[in-house]
Amino acid sequence: MGRRRQRVDPAAGARAGALPEAIAALSRSLPSGPSPEIFRRAKFDRPEATSALWQLLFRVLSPLPAGNALASLALEVQARLVKSALCSQGYPRLALAQLPEDGSQGSRELLLALSWLLARGPVPEQMLAQARVPLGDEMTVCQCEALASPGPPAPHMEAEGPVDVRHVQWLMGKLRFRWRQLVSSQQEQCALLSKIHLYTRGCHSDQSLSHLSVTEAEMLRDPEGGQQLLRTLERENQRLEAVLAWRRSELVFWRWMDTVLGTCAPEVPAAASQPTFLPWVPERGGGELDLAVRELQALEEELQEAVERRRVAWEAKAGGCGRGPEWSAARRASREAVEKELGALQQCWERDGGPAQPHGPHRLVRREDGAAGDRDLRAAVVIRTLRSQEACLEAVLRRLQGQCRQELARLVGALPGLIWIPPPGR
Amino acid sequence: MSIVTVQLGQCGNQIGFEVFDALLSDSHSSQGLCSMRENEAYQASCKERFFSEEENGVPIARAVLVDMEPKVINQTLSKAAQSGQWKYGQHACFCQKQGSGNNWAYGYSVHGPRHEESIMNIIRKEVEKCDSFSGFFIIMSMAGGTGSGLGAFVTQNLEDQYSNSLKMNQIIWPYGTGEVIVQNYNSILTLSHLYRSSDALLLHENDAIHKICAKLMNIKQISFSDINQVLAHQLGSVFQPTYSAESSFHYRRNPLGDLMEHLVPHPEFKMLSVRNIPHMSENSLAYTTFTWAGLLKHLRQMLISNAKMEEGIDRHVRPPLSGLPPLSKMSLNKDLHFNTSIANLVILRGKDVQSADVEGFKDPALYTSWLKPVNAFNVWKTQRAFSKYEKSAVLVSNSQFLVKPLDMIVGKAWNMFASKAYIHQYTKFGIEEEDFLDSFTSLEQVVASYCNL
Repeated sequence: MGRRRQRVDPAAGARAGALPEAIAALSRSLPSGPSPEIFRRAKFDRPEATSALWQLLFRVLSPLPAGNALASLALEVQARLVKSALCSQGYPRLALAQLPEDGSQGSRELLLALSWLLARGPVPEQMLAQARVPLGDEMTVCQCEALASPGPPAPHMEAEGPVDVRHVQWLMGKLRFRWRQLVSSQQEQCALLSKIHLYTRGCHSDQSLSHLSVTEAEMLRDPEGGQQLLRTLERENQRLEAVLAWRRSELVFWRWMDTVLGTCAPEVPAAASQPTFLPWVPERGGGELDLAVRELQALEEELQEAVERRRVAWEAKAGGCGRGPEWSAARRASREAVEKELGALQQCWERDGGPAQPHGPHRLVRREDGAAGDRDLRAAVVIRTLRSQEACLEAVLRRLQGQCRQELARLVGALPGLIWIPPPGR
Repeated sequence: MSIVTVQLGQCGNQIGFEVFDALLSDSHSSQGLCSMRENEAYQASCKERFFSEEENGVPIARAVLVDMEPKVINQTLSKAAQSGQWKYGQHACFCQKQGSGNNWAYGYSVHGPRHEESIMNIIRKEVEKCDSFSGFFIIMSMAGGTGSGLGAFVTQNLEDQYSNSLKMNQIIWPYGTGEVIVQNYNSILTLSHLYRSSDALLLHENDAIHKICAKLMNIKQISFSDINQVLAHQLGSVFQPTYSAESSFHYRRNPLGDLMEHLVPHPEFKMLSVRNIPHMSENSLAYTTFTWAGLLKHLRQMLISNAKMEEGIDRHVRPPLSGLPPLSKMSLNKDLHFNTSIANLVILRGKDVQSADVEGFKDPALYTSWLKPVNAFNVWKTQRAFSKYEKSAVLVSNSQFLVKPLDMIVGKAWNMFASKAYIHQYTKFGIEEEDFLDSFTSLEQVVASYCNL
């Protein structure tokens, strides 16, 4: 296993400060980016660079905008979520999945993972868009998020033993109450927004807007808050400038990353299965539990033997089901079916709902005269579109519910002597 | 967030009046045992929830009054106005000239649809007055004619038109030896309909409150007004402001929502009952002191022995040993007459409330096997004392309290139904035997679910 030697491009290091500048720009353009020194240490796989890189990867990969709750997660939890997210995005290097989660080693692997993410998409720009300070009252109208496939899965939780269905119903009920409260809060927010827009008519210097948004009204009311907003906007500007500087100088960075890759040993081709991420099991105290543990281990061994025997027999019978061409064909078929459903839904929306909604957030502006510019959306049109989308979804829901009911009736019919009383519906 | 109260029928209107009166006089009370700033926050929170402001400063109750005859509504309106402290809105009531003769079917199938639009209009106006609207609190009886039939119809409409708002029905359980012959029919029809359209059913038994008046308050001639005042006291101690978290300094914004999320998320278990302690006449109050330990011990025993009040508690009922498998625990509980809870909420008000120890309510033996005490039990506290009681505790419980009474009512109704007694009064107005059978089925299901805890 030889080392791949990279021919050093003489022009690359021609400007002595080019690389540190590029890395510094990258670091400034990312939220709480680590110092260039960390990057340099990571190239040499130094352990002290590891935890900063785990945290940076976590910030980049977590789907929610940063808040205090996320920052306070333990390093192990952040590391585990990073691994899970990278795995579901298809990150190819296995060495990362095998890194310890305590931040003791692996900084070079993490640096490689970061550059993989940077190469795949405009990460600094995306993070900037996430943390944008909106000056107006905004909402998004496109339904892209609703139709997109779900993001990286949360770490899988194993249930401890049989779960009582009543407990699950209880939790569903709580979720429903929270949902209803969310809807009520949104209605309240809309009513208040409407009031503010109405009362501040004529206050805005921009004639086309004419009234203030909540942020602007707050700024007038509370000068100290206004100062803070100004500082936030200045910080945002600095990050924008850093992104521009990064884009100008990133070639230097990529040449350097090639050398980093060169210092790694080449990877052995992947084994059949990916490592699974086991949930964290709390340490159980010793004492009389040791006996129980030993008994359980003996039982486990017995069961494993029994399982092996059964698996061999079943494979002989089922002929490699779960693996092999038939299984992957079945999986492909079901995935295609789901995509077809989503596609049909999208078509139904496009057909009934009029023009497709533009992406991204829109600022809410209340106008008395009803005049609208070219790129403006009228609320009435949006509402009509949303209502037709809702009707499509309800039709799909009713169809699926009917299918479920038929399936349930079929299953019940197959059991003799069972009387099924469906819940009273209206 | 604001709650709109819908007062239905004679029962609902009389109780509603007492509730608003109790809430406001407590919020104006000078014996709150807390700082002035805290008192003002308490008052503001109570007002925002239940009253709206008018120009001359007299609070107007956020309520809609509905009855088929004008007498009770007029009495209620004038009593409120006479107090000078608060009043009802001018256009907040709906009444007709004729009653419904205790006929559930007439209230549900005739009055309801006929007056649907007017009633829902008034309700809508009241909801629009709220800046932030949390839900409905509907007060009705389940045995009478107007309150029960019309109440079931109105609640169903609210479910259709305001499906995202919360709905709690305060239901009066009639005396066991009540005067209305068909009260059991009315009761089962009301309960089964409400189970579908309401989120929570807060049930108060007339018999239980009657005993409180007799034994604890020493009232000789018990009138409906006395009973309603006891009820209002209990409801007030549930709904007055409490802090939102352990060491927070803001009053809870949405008590209705929080209460429902803690107690009734499961669609089969919606029946709640209230127990409060202490409860006594004003004369005795001056001579008694309380400790939290004593109050909570009694309250806990009331919970597990299914006592309605703090006297005559069966002290022999004990929780079973923990660690038993669920099935044997269930049969053991039945033998011991032990009241198993699904979820409990304890609200403590008064002096030194931070020192109150509620560990006794976190015993897993009190609860059903599929819900752990950490999820099943909640406690809300505030230092501000309620209505002249230096310390008071109220328990809102989703437990087996009402299984026996419900079972009895269903049994009696079934006996009548089996001989088709009085059914024609219902079929005359569109309530068929099918509907009765549906009601019996749903309620039997509810009884079975509660018994299998």
